[in-house]
Amino acid sequence: MSQTRRDFIRTLGLSAAAVPFVLNLPSLGFANQGKRKQRLVVMFTPNGVVPWNFWPKETGSDFTLPTSVKPLEPFKKQTLFLHGIADKIRGDGDGHMRGIGCLLTGIELFPGNIQGGSDTPAGWAKGLSIDQEIKNFLQKDEATKTRFGSLELGVQVPDRADTWTRMVYTGANKPVAPVSDPYQMFKRLYGRTADNKVLASVLDDLNADLKKVAGAVSSEDRKLLDEHTTFVREMEQELKAAKSHGEIGHKVPDLEPGVKGDNDNIPKISKMQIELMVNSFASDFSRVATLQYTNSVGGARMKWLGINEGHHELSHEPNKNDAAQEKLTKIDTWFCEQMAYLAKRLSETPEPGGQGSLLDNTTIVWTNELGQGNSHTHNDTPFLLVGGGLDFKMGRSLKYKQVPHNRLLVSMAHGFGHRVKSFGNPNYCGDGPLNDLT
Amino acid sequence: MLQNLRTRWLGLLTAALLLTAPASADTGEQMYAAQCARCHGKVGEGTKKYPKPLAGERSVPQLAEQIQKTMPENDPGSLSKDDSAKIAAYTYDAFYSTAAREKNKPVRIELARLTVPQYKNALADILGSFRGGNNNTTWDAKRGLKGEYFKNRNHGQRQIDRLDPEVKFDFGTKAPTEKDFDAKEFSARWTGSILVPETGEYTFIVKSDQSVRLWVNDNKKALADGYVRSGSDNEYKGTLFLLGGRAYPIRVDFSKALQGVKDKDPKPIPAFVQLLWQQPNGTEEVIPARNLSPQFSPEVYVDQTKFPPDDRSYGWERGTTVSKAWDQATTDAAFDAAGYVSTFLNEIAKVNDRDDKRAEKLKVFLRQFAKLAFRKPITDDLEKMYITRAIESTPDVQAAAKRSVLMILKSPRFLYREVGGTPDQYDVAARMAFALWDSIPDQELLTLAANNKLKTLDDVRKQTDKMMADTRAKARIRGFLHHWLKVDHARDAQKDPKRFPGFDAAVVADLRTSLDLLLDDVVGSEKSDFRQFFLGNETYLNGRLAKFYGADLPADAPFQKVAFEKGRRAGVLTHPFMMATFAYTGETSPIHRGVFVARGILGVGLKPPAEAFTPLAADLHPTLTTRERVELQTKGVNCQSCHAVINPLGFVLENFDAIGRFRELDHNKAVDATGGYQTRAGEQKAFKGPAELAKFLADSPDAQTAFAEQMFHHLVQQSIRAYGAKRGAELRESFAKTGCNVRQLAVEIVATAAVKGRD
Repeated sequence: MSQTRRDFIRTLGLSAAAVPFVLNLPSLGFANQGKRKQRLVVMFTPNGVVPWNFWPKETGSDFTLPTSVKPLEPFKKQTLFLHGIADKIRGDGDGHMRGIGCLLTGIELFPGNIQGGSDTPAGWAKGLSIDQEIKNFLQKDEATKTRFGSLELGVQVPDRADTWTRMVYTGANKPVAPVSDPYQMFKRLYGRTADNKVLASVLDDLNADLKKVAGAVSSEDRKLLDEHTTFVREMEQELKAAKSHGEIGHKVPDLEPGVKGDNDNIPKISKMQIELMVNSFASDFSRVATLQYTNSVGGARMKWLGINEGHHELSHEPNKNDAAQEKLTKIDTWFCEQMAYLAKRLSETPEPGGQGSLLDNTTIVWTNELGQGNSHTHNDTPFLLVGGGLDFKMGRSLKYKQVPHNRLLVSMAHGFGHRVKSFGNPNYCGDGPLNDLT
Repeated sequence: MLQNLRTRWLGLLTAALLLTAPASADTGEQMYAAQCARCHGKVGEGTKKYPKPLAGERSVPQLAEQIQKTMPENDPGSLSKDDSAKIAAYTYDAFYSTAAREKNKPVRIELARLTVPQYKNALADILGSFRGGNNNTTWDAKRGLKGEYFKNRNHGQRQIDRLDPEVKFDFGTKAPTEKDFDAKEFSARWTGSILVPETGEYTFIVKSDQSVRLWVNDNKKALADGYVRSGSDNEYKGTLFLLGGRAYPIRVDFSKALQGVKDKDPKPIPAFVQLLWQQPNGTEEVIPARNLSPQFSPEVYVDQTKFPPDDRSYGWERGTTVSKAWDQATTDAAFDAAGYVSTFLNEIAKVNDRDDKRAEKLKVFLRQFAKLAFRKPITDDLEKMYITRAIESTPDVQAAAKRSVLMILKSPRFLYREVGGTPDQYDVAARMAFALWDSIPDQELLTLAANNKLKTLDDVRKQTDKMMADTRAKARIRGFLHHWLKVDHARDAQKDPKRFPGFDAAVVADLRTSLDLLLDDVVGSEKSDFRQFFLGNETYLNGRLAKFYGADLPADAPFQKVAFEKGRRAGVLTHPFMMATFAYTGETSPIHRGVFVARGILGVGLKPPAEAFTPLAADLHPTLTTRERVELQTKGVNCQSCHAVINPLGFVLENFDAIGRFRELDHNKAVDATGGYQTRAGEQKAFKGPAELAKFLADSPDAQTAFAEQMFHHLVQQSIRAYGAKRGAELRESFAKTGCNVRQLAVEIVATAAVKGRD
């Protein structure tokens, strides 16, 4: 059985009531101070983009943001476009499967039984994904270790485990399911803190009833109940201590109750997940996060944008279908707004115990399974970066000649000081990290 | 050098001392009365001159040393070592030790909390009652799973609906049947229930070279997911903690085809599928038909919290101690359950979001929840405290439900037995349910209590008899039998692989199964005759055991009753699992076997040895049999007070080696399997070989009394003496009258204890 949060607390030898208190303690919660905290967010959206509305025409630091990426205007100086990166991994699986499965792993899929619309059937990826590689690197060192290491968030990821729905891998054949339910994620992050409030609110009544019950048994039997009463009293004191410490700590985010995980609630859930992510960073619960919108071949119907067709079917429309391309541009813009919102929330949040804002120490990488939907190309796979987590030189638009994306994955590891020679399939890492990022 | 001299001098001094103080022939009790009672009181209570009672924490040897050095006051050192030891042993057992003092206290029915199994079963049954009754504690007569076979890969166009005893198919490149199938593409689904015999962690494994998924006790989330085949993986597994004596829903989906986009040109490829499990004490095996049923079972709520273990110091589990860790565990578990209720509130409380009577329905639900948890209807005052206040505290119904459930499950009225109220028939119902099901009473019992139908002992007997059909009752009885036979804690049955090649974990697991089948067989038979535990001359064997123990069965034979070594074997006593667990890795252990028969079966009180001994090594005495080595090692007078009882009982079983195989020779000498026993009535019995011992045990009043008393303690979890000094004798009498019917004994114990409450 895997280590639960409860076990974790137990290992520390602390009662659950003292948890919020402990995790805010400088000695434990922020034992990993010193060096600047670096963070990475990978944001995934499916079905490619409309390239002419996505990539700036210019190269260098003087560029204009095209339609789809306009929402990033306030963060333009912290933005980096990497145009001309190609996912060159081939082998089993159709373009979509490889698109999501090889995106962060940089390695082929195993042969298997999942048949796409073309190509050969395939199974899971043959290696771990870069976010997990970086997480493992950070968790190895006490100075950068966090409670969760990484958080895998999703928005409307279907409840179905197959090659099209999994991007993160902890190893070969070990896909990780993203958590699409913000309440489930909330429970994982703050479960006990919220629970303790409820517990504290019923203790008086419980004590009163315990007293009543104890009064009705013989004196010999009362000993057992008296002993029980002392435990309840101790718990009460621990809760009080936790509360007084909780006030100076970070607050637990408020989630709107009762939001169901259906298509029309995608905008709400997106915001809730971003809120949970930002709060976890502020509390240093984790330094790596992924945010996966739907899945490869995802068919979200963005009715809130006036679009009734599913995303995937639209993405197959040819370039000359202006109406479809306009809708797709709207969809890309909406996704970009999510990235901008995340950047905004990070920029508004001061870095606890450090310099600047969370955004100054966090790089968001927005990527996609395909370059463009109607051609299923893996050339020009979108890589759009915002924020200062990786010490890359930002505020630029760079153009490459379809260099393998493995080199960018290597660069991401190097950004954390994890100097790997290659990542994924080494055949695509020959020239090492991209040399013009820093 | 100096050191050596001193040691030698000390040795001489000790020898001199022994010469001046020869050992007395008197018993410890006689010597205490003659020499000690004058100052210390008859039972160590002290006298005016020496008021301090004789009570403390020293061990017998420590006590003996102190007596020898300091007593009697006017001439310390004058007692011999042996006499000091005898006096120490007597005082220790009579009044000095904590155990003795406990024993001397007047015995009463004590207040107890729910034991850990009771707590977990209670949660399962409370929540289960809102999910279609207690269906998961009934077990119908059909064995195997419902097998459905479909023409297309997505479980559509069903062609076959049948009962499959187990899921173990190698279809090869063929279809499940000749007609109506395309061998290149088809799917199958197996559904039904799995009966879990005992509480613990179960690993479920599904193996296939095709797309396959397994669900156990969770119809939404697959426990093992092989929908995607990747690389050469063809084994998927998941582990669950499950409560014994319950049936859980299980389903396997199998699909022979590529998944995702339909394959336009499928190739003829082979296909197989297997459903296996590994039980808590077992090895991987195909789930046998006897644990499968096509019946429907609802999902069971199984609490996963780790609790500290219950007190077992009296030899049976009881809830008479609390600790902070226990309190914390009850909080954790209450939160998990409250969270579960709040998450599945609509489903459990039968409400929906748009219902304008939702708050009202919630109240009805919580009232029923509290009634089941408290084992009686709740008063208006309690309703206000446990339910109304929670509902009024927030407009969020889920939060209100969570708060209320948390409070109910943290209440002393849930956590403790029979508190907060005058004793009534609801308490009778609770005693019956806890004793027989290790859980709370169901709605039927509560209704009987409400209608004054649990008034007389006969009423209670009748209902208890009905309750015996429940799977929880069967698990409870089997749990007791494991306890009686001392196999309840996974005993180490590992043997020397050089001497017993092939005696591996799989054989041990099969032996365990074989013993369980035998126990179930005796208890479940019409007469449910206790004596058959000793007299039965058939053993359950499968192909593997048959090959190993030299019986005649095909290699792949499933478990079946075999008359195996007739005349040499006798019921459970000589069952190879018993003989193997009461043995060392290479040699037998007549002492372990003797202690088991004397203490466990015959109820003889035996003291642990004064100090720990390592058995004499066989290779240092190559000419001696095991029997001779044991005799050599235990011939001392001190040893003989107990070993005179133990050894002759253990020796009778010397015909079975360390893995329970029959033998005529031990270390190249003929086995001497003679022995004897002096009954409590004073009769001296002699036995030659296990069959004679077994026959004696079957009819022995001592064995029957011990069995009845142990069952009482196991089920009622209170000292039998609290129910009257003669309760044991009475039980044995009624037991004998029914022809030693085990099931009726259980009913009698539960019913008679249920009508008596704490004073």
